[in-house]
Parts: sequence; structure tokens; C-alpha cells
Amino acid sequence: MAELRGSFGVARNHLLTRWFGTEDLHRLEVYESKAGGYAALRKALLDMKPADLVNEVKTSGLRGRGGAGFATGVKWSFINRDAPGPKYVVVNADESEPGTSKDRYIMENSPHMLLEGIMIAAYAVGANQAWVYIRGEYDGPHRMLVEAIAEARAKGYLGPKPMGVNYPLDIQLYRGHGAYICGEETALLESLEGKRAQPRSRPPFPAVKGAWARPTLLNNVETLSTVPWIINNGGAAYVKFGTEKSPGTRLMSVSGNVRKPGVYEVELGQTFRHVIMELAGGPPEGRRMKVFWPGGSSAPVLPESMLDTHTDMEALAAARSMGGSGGVIVMDDSHCVVKAASRLLRFYAHESCGKCTPCRVGGDWAVRTYDRILANEGSQVELGILERVADGLQNGRCLCGLGDSAGWVIDSTFRHFREEYEDHALRHTCKVGSDA
Amino acid sequence: MPDVNVTIDGHKIAVPAGTLVVEAAKLLGIEIPVFCYHHKLETVGACRMCLVELTPGPPRPQTGCTTPVAEGMVVKTLSPMAVQARADILEFELVNHPLDCPVCDKGGECPLQDFTFRHGYPTSRIDGPRLHFKKPIPLSETIALDRERCVLCYRCTRYYDEVAWEQELTVGQRGVQSFITSQFDQPLQSIFSGNIIDLCPVGALTSRVWRFESRPWDMTHTETVCSKCAVGCNVNLWQRRGQLVRVTSRENDDIDEGWICDRGRFDYADVNDPSRLRTPRINGAKATWADALTAVAGGIKGKGAKLGISLPKDITNEEAFLFRRLLEGPLKGARVKMHGRTALPAPVGATLRIKDLDAARVIVIVASDTEDDVPIVNLRIKKAASKRGARLIVIHPDGVDLDRDPRTIHIRNAPGKAAAEVRKLATHALLKSPGGPVAILYGDGHGSEEMADLAKSCRELADAVGGDVMPLYRATNERGAIEAGVGGWDQLDGVEALLSWGPPPTAGIPSSVKFMAAWDHLPRPENEKSNVMLPATTFAQRQGTYTNLEGTVQFLRPPIEVDPPLKESWEVLTELGVALGLNLDYAGVFAIQREAAAAIPALAALAQPPSPEPAPDPVLIGPAHP
Repeated sequence: MAELRGSFGVARNHLLTRWFGTEDLHRLEVYESKAGGYAALRKALLDMKPADLVNEVKTSGLRGRGGAGFATGVKWSFINRDAPGPKYVVVNADESEPGTSKDRYIMENSPHMLLEGIMIAAYAVGANQAWVYIRGEYDGPHRMLVEAIAEARAKGYLGPKPMGVNYPLDIQLYRGHGAYICGEETALLESLEGKRAQPRSRPPFPAVKGAWARPTLLNNVETLSTVPWIINNGGAAYVKFGTEKSPGTRLMSVSGNVRKPGVYEVELGQTFRHVIMELAGGPPEGRRMKVFWPGGSSAPVLPESMLDTHTDMEALAAARSMGGSGGVIVMDDSHCVVKAASRLLRFYAHESCGKCTPCRVGGDWAVRTYDRILANEGSQVELGILERVADGLQNGRCLCGLGDSAGWVIDSTFRHFREEYEDHALRHTCKVGSDA
Repeated sequence: MPDVNVTIDGHKIAVPAGTLVVEAAKLLGIEIPVFCYHHKLETVGACRMCLVELTPGPPRPQTGCTTPVAEGMVVKTLSPMAVQARADILEFELVNHPLDCPVCDKGGECPLQDFTFRHGYPTSRIDGPRLHFKKPIPLSETIALDRERCVLCYRCTRYYDEVAWEQELTVGQRGVQSFITSQFDQPLQSIFSGNIIDLCPVGALTSRVWRFESRPWDMTHTETVCSKCAVGCNVNLWQRRGQLVRVTSRENDDIDEGWICDRGRFDYADVNDPSRLRTPRINGAKATWADALTAVAGGIKGKGAKLGISLPKDITNEEAFLFRRLLEGPLKGARVKMHGRTALPAPVGATLRIKDLDAARVIVIVASDTEDDVPIVNLRIKKAASKRGARLIVIHPDGVDLDRDPRTIHIRNAPGKAAAEVRKLATHALLKSPGGPVAILYGDGHGSEEMADLAKSCRELADAVGGDVMPLYRATNERGAIEAGVGGWDQLDGVEALLSWGPPPTAGIPSSVKFMAAWDHLPRPENEKSNVMLPATTFAQRQGTYTNLEGTVQFLRPPIEVDPPLKESWEVLTELGVALGLNLDYAGVFAIQREAAAAIPALAALAQPPSPEPAPDPVLIGPAHP
């Protein structure tokens, strides 16, 4: 197995990653005997009722770890368990947010922890069938899940009578085909149904009409992987970590210009200085921090001066950014922000599904405008175009968050690094790095 | 459910619960521009054109096409937020849109043009190259696709999926590189393909038949009825300088719901054919009408069963009424064959209306491939199945397109044995408790079924399961002609005299014919041997009424006048009647209508023709308005 780059072992805040690094943790017998695995599922199926499970997760205050941060217990309660007909659980393992690799960290190290969380969730909302939608590029994690599911089926934890309880449970895998938009929950459902991956208009939300128009619970990998700990230790224990409105811990993938990139389990409320400078070792020798994306490339950037921002959702909202996927991308002073923003807009334009006008056209128009600016053909006109495109991409104009994210890239880099933009567009120069 | 009170731009209105904001605004005459929204398709909220400010609501604009009204809702379409949102979206749509207006057929009836004038920015900031595609792409012989003009509203692909149940069009690539394409670049083959021209809000999908023919303001149109089959879809016929230049749908929710098939839309080249006949001829030489009709009368009078008459499928009720006078008098005993007829007998008792299909819970279709026989009724069946959950039972020897619904039950009968299968259905699980009305539609299996028995078995089944029948006539005015007593089904072989009105008989001219009078609008090889040739008018010039297959009488309004030496058909029939010794004298079509209404109960509606002036043409919004 590859070297473990990130949190593992005993520590107060290692709720998810406590057992990572144990040899063969991905095997069911090791997960059970050494890491206390499947005790939560046993407790859920044999000692608790579905309503109790939902309440426990509500008490924990766990918020979705995929990007939106919606209260997980509340989401579970939206599924009407008693309505006739099948309900489904769909796991968002598409993990395509730039800078994010935490779900992969979980699936590679402890796939059974994810499966256990899925099974508990399915039982809680009245679903018998779950799908894991995993991005096509994740060959390794996919293989781990295939083996783990086979083990769970052989052990009888998945099947007609898991642990002897008359409640059939099964998990199937579906591989994506290379589209960032499939991380958006309704586009994911369209892809799962075999259709073109484009988001749906909401309402109706997946809890009412999801996969094949059935009530569907859609959760992120990390969110579900946290459930076993909550069931084992209780929701009240989870609240003791983190902040009041953002309890618990989360896995933050730190990448970019840092000495120790990796996936670190961080108690919410810690500062980004702790995460970037202490956990990840800060930028290399001789270079200074310049800017960082706190929650994947879709989160508005923060400059070095805001390193002491706390990692909980409220603090980030106050800083005009967001927690997002917890993918922390760090850039030091040898890089040009305008070039970085241009590269990101290229990503969003490429990944745009094309369904709604502003994202489809605005993304491409922004890319072409950045190209002109970076080719020293810019002027005030190009800056004006970027501002107007950013405006046209935000504020409810787009059908889903992809457009908003592209708008925030332009918006937030303008807000904090306007001078660099003006250097390029008005003075046709770049004062950063090799061009300085 | 009670009505909902909503305020739009300060105006209050009460609308039924569930009404979308864009529709509520329309009722007040307030335009909320849309591209992807269409009242006959599922809403998607894709184009973002209809953004409005809603209170209560988030501090962001919302799409009016996906939001139903709520009690007390306040909608603002003119607030700065809404105005700017719309202008921004329009600007985005125009970024890659080519400057084709001078050569684009949509110009003059184009929502993109109109919205930009009414809602867009007055100046453009678009500088630099636009996205380019190879264009135009011939999607079929009748439809051209221009990908540069396309605004990706997806109306065409959604229409194909939801309404026509075919997947002929799809979207290739993604993001800004997206483009509309046919599956595997195959030409479109569906009989329903033409509707995408009316649906497309820009000039991306245009008619190749009408390409570069005229501007909308150069044409006038009349509101009339299609002449191609018994469904009787309502259409607009557009003329320019005496030529029929295009056909579009005139939405009638009782019959066609805004769709027409490709036969109705594109088959009109014969109207403008320069080789159209214009003068009567006797043995090839030009003659006057009087002489020609005297010659015809001489050739066909008093021949009894030795006279064969072929009638056109689109004979109007008025012409049929007149012809009956001839058949009861001087032409008594003649054998009559109506062109394009089915073998279906006259309707007995109440029959279903097309709109009744909406409420049906089970629809049984016997001995008919409705996609081919009655295309727009086929679409209505599809709507009942996919949007209202109706179940379909098909009795037909071959597969039909309704089989695309996996819930369709298809019983493959041996040809000729359909009635037996119908009788077995009385005990079918689906029909034991259908949960609502049952509709039984039956055709004639193109001659393979014994019709009297099949009709009887369908009526028996309807009585047994709580339903009603719809006989699927095919010829345009088949039902009207039958009810007028002229819808003949006789064989014509062995006749010595032949009056061929309309296209020549499908079985050919019998070799026994010694005298032939042909009354047609185009020269045809079969008619070359005729003794008398009379020039006929086309469907675009015909006044009168048709009775569609459900029994609705509809009035025609021809866009093109009958210019001498051509004569209207009713006039020719009157003069022929006189030449045959009858006392016929009518001042106009209306006089015939009054008499026919009194004589034939099924034609009672003829006593009240609508006003001769068509409804005023809305200026800004053309036939494909959003």
C-alpha cells in the first residue's frame, strides 16, 4: 500500500482516521477485529429503530461534507420512510472538485467504514438498495470497493437478511465517465439513470423525486463514513468536537505549494494557519504564502492576510468564502493569480454541461477574455467584461452551482488581487515570479 | 382547488392553482420572455430567460417557468434585478449567435430578435470571433439545421422524446461546444419531424421547402383545415403572390394540440406546379366549360351500373351533397369509389372525440398502425400513455411504434382474425377494472379484416367495459362523404364510362372504359386517354367543410382565389347537374350549406358558418411564437 499521506493513528481529533494505517484495514476481518468495525451496524439493526438513527444523526449536527454543508440528519428526515414503493440511497463518490482527495483517502484506506455508513443510512430511511456513484478515474478505490462489497456479501452483511435481520440490503457500484458536473446531485442521478448528465430543475428535490423518480437520499462519502462513529459514540459526543454550528471534524485535503501535502483530519474551528502551516508544513524554503482556496477551487479565495480564518462554515461565510469540499489549495508568491484564475476558468468552461445559457456561454467568454489579457491584448474593456461575466454567472442566474463557482473565481480574485489584474490588462506586465 | 391570487407588476389576478408564473403573466398580457419553456413540453428551466423577482423568495431572480404561483405571491418583471438578469441572459445568447438576420428565414417572426429589442441591451460589447460550425446541415430533405444560430433550448430534442416517442435528435459534446445532431448523422425519418420547425425559437431549424421563399410580412394566411387525412388538424396556409408557400399549425387543443404531420406540412408542391391544368379540353383541344360539360354529360348520362365514378378523398361536404343529387337522379346506379377510403362502415351511435383520449385509462387500438394512418391521433395516444399513465393494448399482426412503451400489451393477431381477439379482451385483466373510461380505436387493417364484424365486436367490447369507440377513417372527408351517402366502396372494373375526379383510381383505369372524363389539377399519364379533361382546383382553393373522423364539421378558408378559367368545384357540379337535366341553382357555397344542413342531420353545423373575416394577424408574434 502507498505511503499514508495524512492523518492516521491515535489523536483526540482522529474520529475517522483513528485506525488508518492498520495493516489490511480494508479487509473485513481486520476492520471488524482490530478497528471495531460493523459494531455500529449491529447496534443499528438489532438495537435501534430507524427513527432513532435519524435522531442520533440530527443530534450530532453533522453537516454534509460534499460541499453544500446541509444538515445531514435533517436531510435524512426528508425521506418519507412509510411512503409506498422503493426508496434509494445514492452515494456521491464523484469527488471531482479540484483540490479534493479526501473521499479517495477513505475509500483506499477503509472502504468498509463507508459501506457500514451506507447500510446504516439505508436502514434509517427505508431503502434496500444503494448505489455508489464513483468517478471513472478512481480505478484503485473502485477495486477496493468491489472487494469490500464482495466480502460484505459473503459475510451476509449485505443480502436478504443482514445480521439475521429481515431487511434486505444491497450496494452496487456505478462508474462515472469523466465529468465534473456529475458531482452535482441531480446531474449524478441523470447519469446514474443512463441519461445525459445535466442537472435538473429543483424543486422537486431528490428526497421527493430522485433516482428514477423515487425518494432518494444522496450523501457524500465522508458524510456517510462519519455515521458509524456517531452511532457507536452517540450524537451528543460528536457535538463535543468542533463549533456549535459546525460540530465534529472533517478531512481537509491540502495541496499545492506546501511541504507536506496530504489529507488531514481537522477539528472544525481550527484556523487555516494551523492546517496549512503546521499540519502541512507551509510553503517551501524561501517562499511566502500568497493565496489559498479554503474549500476546493469553487470556494472564493482568501489572501495570506486571512490565514487566521477559522475552518468552520460560519467563519468562512463571514469571510465571504465557504467550507466547500475541504480541499485546501495553497499558492505561494511565485505564482500569478491571474494565470491561476484563467486556468480555473478553463476548467469550469470545459466541464460546463451546457444546459443553461449563462454558464455555457459565460464560462467560454471568460476564458477567451483571460486569453486576451494574458496575451497582453487586454484593456479596461476586458476587465469590464470579466466583471460583467462574473455578475452574470452568479445570483441565481445559473441552473446549478458550477456557474456560481466560476463566477466566484473571477469575483474573489478581483476582490483580493485587483492590482495583478490591472498589471496584466492595463500595463501589460506581470510582477510575479519569473516575469518580475 | 380554489384559485390563487397573485400580483404581477402591480396587477392583481386570480388563476387556477398550479399555474406557472409565465402563464399567469401571459393572462395579464405581460411578456416574460422564454426560449426553453413551451406550454406543450415539460419545463426544464434551462435557458434562464424567464428570470423574475419573486416575493416571498430568495434575494436572487427565479425562473418563472418552473415556479407555480402561490397565494399572495408578488412577481416583479420590471424591477432592476429582473430587468438586468434578462438583459444579461440575452447578451450571453447573442455572444455566439451569428449575424445572419439578413439571410435567416426566421427574421421577422423571431423571438430572439423581438426579445433583444424589447429586453436586451441597446449596444453590443461582443468583440472577437464567434463559435463556428459547419452549416447548414440537412437533417432531412425538408429540414435544415444551423448550429451557429441554435440557442440550445432543447425544445427539439425534448419534443422528440416526450411527444413523438422517437430519439432522432440528440445533443453532442458538452458545454459551449454542444450542438444538436441526429443519431449517427442519419436523416430524420419521422413523420412528425416538421414540428421542430415551429418549435425552434430561432432560425436554427428551418424548412428547406420554404427556404428563402419570403419574409413573414410578405405573406398572408388563412385559418383553415388540413386536407391530407381524416384527422382534420387545424392549419394556417400561407400564400404569397398566389402561391402556397408554407403550412403551419393553428393550435386546436380539441384535435391536434399544435402538432401537424409532415404530410400536411410539406406536401403542397402540386399547388404551385406550373404544369397545372387551367382549361377544359375535349379530345385534347381547348374547349369552353359549357361544351366540355355537355360532352361529359353526354358520356355519362343514363349508364346505370356501367358508369364508374372515382371521387377524391378530400371532397367537401358541400360537394358531396351536390353529388348525391346527381347520384339520386341522372347518375342513378353508378358505381362509386372514394379515393383513399378505408373499408370502415358508417358510424353507428356515439363515437369518441379525439380529446376524449386524454381521459381514457385504457386505449385499445385494433387493426391500425396509427402512426401511418392517423398520425396526430397517434401523438394523442402517446400523450395519454406517457403523461397520464393510460395503458395501451394493440391488436395488430405487426409491430407498431406504440410498442416503444414497455407497458404496451401487443396482441399479434393472424390477419383477418382481429375481431376474435377483440372479443377475448372482455375478460382481460386490464379491462376488468380499468379505473376510468376505455377508448377503442379501430381501423380496417388495410383491407385484411372483415369490417362489419370488427366494428360490431368493438362496439360490444365498449359496452361491456364502459367505453366508447372511434372508427379510424383515413380519407380526408371519409366520414362526411359516408354520411352524405357518396362515400362509395364499389369496384370499378367492367365499367364502360368513367368519371375520374381527383387523382386516378388506385386500381388503374379499367380496360373496358370507352368514355372517360378526368377532372384533375395536374396532367397525369393515366388521364392522357380521357375524352374530356376538366381542370380542378387544389385544396388551397377549396371552400366548404370537412367532417373529420370524430364527426366534427370544420370550415375551410382557402388562401388562394380561384382565377378564371378555373371554376370552383361546387360550381362545376352545379353546371354538370344542369347539363344532366337537373334543376340546380346556387348563388354560392353558403346556399348549398343551408340546404345541406336542413337535409342531412350530421351536417347541421353548416347552417352557421363562421364569419368570413379571419381573426386579425398578430403583428409581432409569428406562428412559432414562444
